[in-house]
Amino acid sequence: MQFEKIYLDEKAERDSISKTILKALPNVPMETIQDKRSLIKQFSSMSDPIGIGKRILLITHFYGRRLKPCPGTSNHICCGYYVINGITNCPMDCSYCVLQGYLNNPFLTLYTNWDDLLQEIDAFLSTDRQSLLRLGTGELSDSLALEPIFPLSQFLIPFFSEKRNGVLELKTKSVNVGSLLDLDHRGKTVVSWSVNPPKMIEEEEKGTVLLKDRIDAARKCQEKGYLLGFHFDPIIYHEGWEREYEEAILQLFKQIDPGRVVWISLGGFRYPPKLKAIAEERFPRTNVFLGELFPGRDGKFRYLKEIRVEIYQKMTRWLREVDPGLFVYLCMESKEVWEKVFGWTPENSRHLNQMFEKRVRGFLKE
Amino acid sequence: MEAIQSIPLEQIDLLDETFSVNFMPDLQRLRSSIEEIGLIQPVLLKRKSNGYQIISGFRRISVVRELGKLEIESRVFEEKETDEFRLFSLCLHENLTTRGFNAVEKAIALDKLIDRFQIDPPVVIKNFLPSLALEPNEKILNTYLSLARMEDDMKQYVLREGVSRSNIRRLSVLTSDDRRAFLSLASPLKLGENRLREILTFLEEISRRNRWRARDIVGQPEIQVILSQEELTPSQKTDRIKRVLMNLRYPKIHRLEEEFERKKKDLNLPSKVLLHHHPFFEGKGLRVEFQFETMEEYRGILSTLSRLVDKEEFEEFIQSVSY
Repeated sequence: MQFEKIYLDEKAERDSISKTILKALPNVPMETIQDKRSLIKQFSSMSDPIGIGKRILLITHFYGRRLKPCPGTSNHICCGYYVINGITNCPMDCSYCVLQGYLNNPFLTLYTNWDDLLQEIDAFLSTDRQSLLRLGTGELSDSLALEPIFPLSQFLIPFFSEKRNGVLELKTKSVNVGSLLDLDHRGKTVVSWSVNPPKMIEEEEKGTVLLKDRIDAARKCQEKGYLLGFHFDPIIYHEGWEREYEEAILQLFKQIDPGRVVWISLGGFRYPPKLKAIAEERFPRTNVFLGELFPGRDGKFRYLKEIRVEIYQKMTRWLREVDPGLFVYLCMESKEVWEKVFGWTPENSRHLNQMFEKRVRGFLKE
Repeated sequence: MEAIQSIPLEQIDLLDETFSVNFMPDLQRLRSSIEEIGLIQPVLLKRKSNGYQIISGFRRISVVRELGKLEIESRVFEEKETDEFRLFSLCLHENLTTRGFNAVEKAIALDKLIDRFQIDPPVVIKNFLPSLALEPNEKILNTYLSLARMEDDMKQYVLREGVSRSNIRRLSVLTSDDRRAFLSLASPLKLGENRLREILTFLEEISRRNRWRARDIVGQPEIQVILSQEELTPSQKTDRIKRVLMNLRYPKIHRLEEEFERKKKDLNLPSKVLLHHHPFFEGKGLRVEFQFETMEEYRGILSTLSRLVDKEEFEEFIQSVSY
């Protein structure tokens, strides 16, 4: 991760986190700013602000809610997840990344008013003490991307270890787990990896690490008792996909104990309409848009249903061959597809959420 | 630079295009003007060992020559008086303040600045793009450079059809042979900007999906048959070609559509009864739509629909769309 510049909002100047980061990046030029909006406006008019923004760190405060229900998607079954937005944007540069068309601030942005965020999470968890809520930081960034300069895990993992009704998911494509290994997580943190076959990683996931390194990092977390999650998402349907994905599954479970895997998601590549033009501009050689993708009931483009069903049926079969007990779910899919793949469907998103709860409680009792 | 003088046209090297940025010049207005009031502004020339090189005034010299004149009023630079880049800048500025440039001429000017006069791209972006009324960024520069390097018939098409920059970029990813094939497809059609974008996107995506060259796609018998049908209007040809390309681009949904149409046909429904599947076969089930004008017609349709219950092929049809 190479930063070219740090912009420090004067409001965050005195925060200890800001000091930690500046200490970790002594050779990166820093400029204190008063008005981040004009800075954002200035960069947004440049060519490829998204690419430039990944090399610039903005340290600032966030005012407003940072804990939100996962936006999921309308007219599809979602899992009832909550997202914590402590960092926005990501230094990695995946061709298919939805953030390219989603964020209006191009910078990798770290919000240093963490006490407010922890209070917000605390208040949220106290509103529903009966349920087991799942929260994660991997929606608007990679959960562990900034660990080398700012060990976010040091705040969140101990915090969640004391929460009876909350489970934290740290979702990543990195190997930055060193700072996690000695923490007392008490089984309340799930570390999860996005998984794609090596060829897809090389072609479409610029700035991420190899599959074998992700698996190795997952194994280290497994050895420290963490629960693990894996997300085969986005699955990219292309010539030879079956061999590549089956091999990736086999490679994964050569090192990972399926008995420690709390959930595995499957999601075919999907995208909001405006992403294609942005991504093709930034990645002229990307192949992700060459599939047969059509607008669905939520307006997002997805593979033809027949293709999605084929993908999920085969992936589920390969995963169940590894361990029939694996908890496999579909991300943002329709009831029809669930039914075709599994022979049954959650009645609604709440039902799927309850299944998650049961699954996680099963692990917590162990 | 010397004072204005009359230079014999035969001493001017018309083949030396070092400073020319002309492309498809419209000489009619200039001809009328010169015929009526003569040459207003002298041309710029540079003396060379065996005559004169044109710096600015290619079109004026051409018209004056056509009008049968033997000399033209000129300002002449001596051979070593000033460097070529400065002379080219003079040529650009003179043209910009008078006639302006079309898109291809802007492209040629930018290409010459970079290729012939070796000006760094960032300098061209900063100093020349705004003079040509273009946004100063690399993407715009690259778009125009790609246009400058296209074949002349492609450049003519770009000008004639007023092709947008985004479509110029799409054309630029094709090879020269593929662009020729594209022209053989596009020229007989009436493509607006959106249709052009759709066709180019299809060509690019089919090429990449199927590892075909664009010329192989254009050469598909189905497309050639459509192009050769003289009874079709350009708009009808465009629609049919678009359909062929769409089927090549989306073969699975094309197969589903074909199966659906075949099964529908097997039911022998009256023309006023329509059966629809969900958009893109995303949902389950069928939708029936019918139209009637009289009670009798209504009864007939209901009777046809109720008889479907006994048809095995109808049940199979329902099952197939409930996938």
